[in-house]
Formats: sequence, structure tokens, C-alpha cells
Amino acid sequence: MEFEKIRDIIVEVLNVEPDQVSEDSKFIDDLGCDSLDVMQIIMGMEQEFGIKISDEDAKAIVTVGDAVEKIQAAIN
Amino acid sequence: MELVKVALDAMGGDNAPGAIVHGAIEAVKAREELFVYLVGQTEAIKAELNKYSGYDEKRVEIVEAPDIITNDEAPVDAIRHKDNSSVVKALYLVKNGQADAIVSAGSTGALLVGGQLIIGRIKGVRRSPLAPLIPTLDGVSLLLDCGANVDAKAVDLVQFAKMGSIYMENIMGVKNPKIGLVNIGVEEEKGNSLVKETYPMLKNSNDINFIGSVESREIPYGAADVIVTEAFVGNVIIKLYEGVAGALLKRVKEGFKSTPVSIMGAALAKPALKKTLKGFSIKEYGGAPMLGLKALVVKSHGNSDYVEIKNSLIQCIDFKKQRINEKIEENISANSEVSK
Repeated sequence: MEFEKIRDIIVEVLNVEPDQVSEDSKFIDDLGCDSLDVMQIIMGMEQEFGIKISDEDAKAIVTVGDAVEKIQAAIN
Repeated sequence: MELVKVALDAMGGDNAPGAIVHGAIEAVKAREELFVYLVGQTEAIKAELNKYSGYDEKRVEIVEAPDIITNDEAPVDAIRHKDNSSVVKALYLVKNGQADAIVSAGSTGALLVGGQLIIGRIKGVRRSPLAPLIPTLDGVSLLLDCGANVDAKAVDLVQFAKMGSIYMENIMGVKNPKIGLVNIGVEEEKGNSLVKETYPMLKNSNDINFIGSVESREIPYGAADVIVTEAFVGNVIIKLYEGVAGALLKRVKEGFKSTPVSIMGAALAKPALKKTLKGFSIKEYGGAPMLGLKALVVKSHGNSDYVEIKNSLIQCIDFKKQRINEKIEENISANSEVSK
């Protein structure tokens, strides 16, 4: 469920098709993000899930799967 | 009458909150459809508001924000962590639909980053350029991008051209605005790889009036209504523009003061010079809009006086009334193959 919500945020921010986004997708290499795009997605996730992601955790997010893990850890 | 609500960063800029509050009061007096949120330190704002009377107090509201983001703070960190700063609070008023636009004379970096992170881009817009009006012999031109995005691609420059064209036509009333691409020569084969890639794309865009390359020395003569370039070059152009103008004016003043005869000449010429130079004063138009975001973000100069703040606020009314964002969205979605 977290993945679907994160995917929706990515689709909205990057204007890509949903089927372009998988858990293995790398934000910068595969989805063409720049650092500001990544930050926009992270802030979107913070708002969607009502959590705060630390700067250290934010820097460690490389793939969509990493983002899912961070969100699940924060929720739990 | 539908009000246009603007979140004004009352603490941003060298002359805050005095000039900011003064500008808000003058704008509210000038336009009855304007509502202003003064976002910042309540007591400091109240102290300034108490200096004025004769304005509609129902159209001015203070929103408490105790913190300030300064120019020496890292923009992304500040936007993420200073939730109680005047600019972040003002951005969220827009994001949450309480305000239609934001005006700030504070940290440029924080506003540009915050605009993209908090308000977000219109669907299909890849990058949002900062687009100041610059004075020319013909009036004004729109220069974009002036510093919002590094490493823009050709598709971004094409979008900048289209957004700039919509702005100049609808806000400045320029019919079929001339679009020029900044280059080091006018021939199509000149330029770096970005310019060479962008040129044919602009040439093949049927919905804009692309006139070709423009050399930077032609910009002050009004060579084009919309000057398209990437952020690094745009920023160099505007700063050199300001620097040369200031230095030249200083030298002219020194010349006028150099001999008794020239001093007399200066006294005679002063009224005409003043009138001429007023035509080159950009504060009459307000700050620079950041185009392509879901709501209008206006960056006023750090040293804005009340006149520039007033005009920045008034600009927001025209932006909403002319449905600029809807027009940008229609244009970008109609050209969605370009925006991917």
C-alpha cells in the first residue's frame, strides 16, 4: 500500500506513467530526478504519511524501494 | 467581488517589515479586490500597521510566524526545517488554498526552492523559471530563466519561451511577443550544444513568435520581448545589466560635478534626466514572477521599497484575473510530447 501511494506522488511530481515506476527504480538514474525532485517527493511522502524523514535517511534514499522501507520503518 | 488573496512575507528583505507593511497598505488602498496576509512577527507588524490609517482593515490580516530565513542559510534545509518561518508559513497559506499567491523580498534561494517543493509545478511543466522584467529602450523585456534552475535542457528552454510568451501577452499586453534565444551570434549554427539543440525546437514551435538568436548587447535595445536562456547565463546577464547601469550613472554624475560649467549644465538637465531614468525604473512593475508553479510566486528585490512591494502585490491580481496558470497548463498539455 505504501508503494502505491509513493508511486502516485512520483507520478505527480515527475509527470511519468505509473508503469515506469517500480521498487527497483533509481530516482536519479532511472526516473531522471534531480536533487530538488527527490526532495519534493520526500516532502510529499512526509505529508502523505504524516511523518518526518531525517536528513540522513533522506540522503540514503536511492531507489523507490528504499523510500518504501523508510516509510514503513517510520510508520511502525 | 472575488478577492485576490496574497500571502506577503512581512519579514523578508533589507527594509522589512517597514517597507513591506507600507507597500501592503498602499496596494490595499489602490485595489479594492486585494486581500493581504502579513506573515511574520505579530508585534513588529502591528507596530508598523499602527502608523497607517484610512485603509480597509478587513482586507489585511496578520499571520504569526516567529522565525526568519536569512540569506546565508542553505535553502533546502531551511525550507524543510523552519516550519515557523515567515516564508514557509506564507508558502503553506498558498499550498492550502487560503492564498492565491505569495510575495517575498527575502532569501531568493529559499523562495525558489520553497515554491517548487511546497507549492509544486503545474502538471507537465518540467522546470519553473524566475522571470524578471528588465528595462529596455522599447519598454521592458522578460528575461527567463534568471537563476532558478541549473542545467536546463532544450525542452525546458522551449517551455520557458511558451510561458514567457503567455505572460508578456496577457500581463504586459504585448501582442504576439517576439521570442529571442540568447546566443553569441545571430546565425543558426552558432552557440553551445544547448543553444544548437534549442534553436530548431523553438523555430518549429507554431504557437510562439520566435525571431531567432539575440546577442546580449541587443537586449537593452529591446531586440525581443521574451529573452530565453538558461539560469547561469540569465543570472550573469541581469547582474551585469545592473552593474553596468550603476557604474555608468556614477560616471555621468562625476562628470556633471567636475567643473563649475558642468554643474550648471547638470542643474538644467536634471529634470529631463530624472524623467528619462524613471522610465528605466523596474520597481514600477513589481518583482519577478516564478512561472509554471501551481500558484504565483513573486520574488521582489532584497532592497525593495514600498513601491515595489505594492506593485508586486498588484501584479498578483492581474496574474489571477488573466488566468495565466490556466493558459500555461493548456499550452503545456497541448504540447505534452515536448514536456516529457
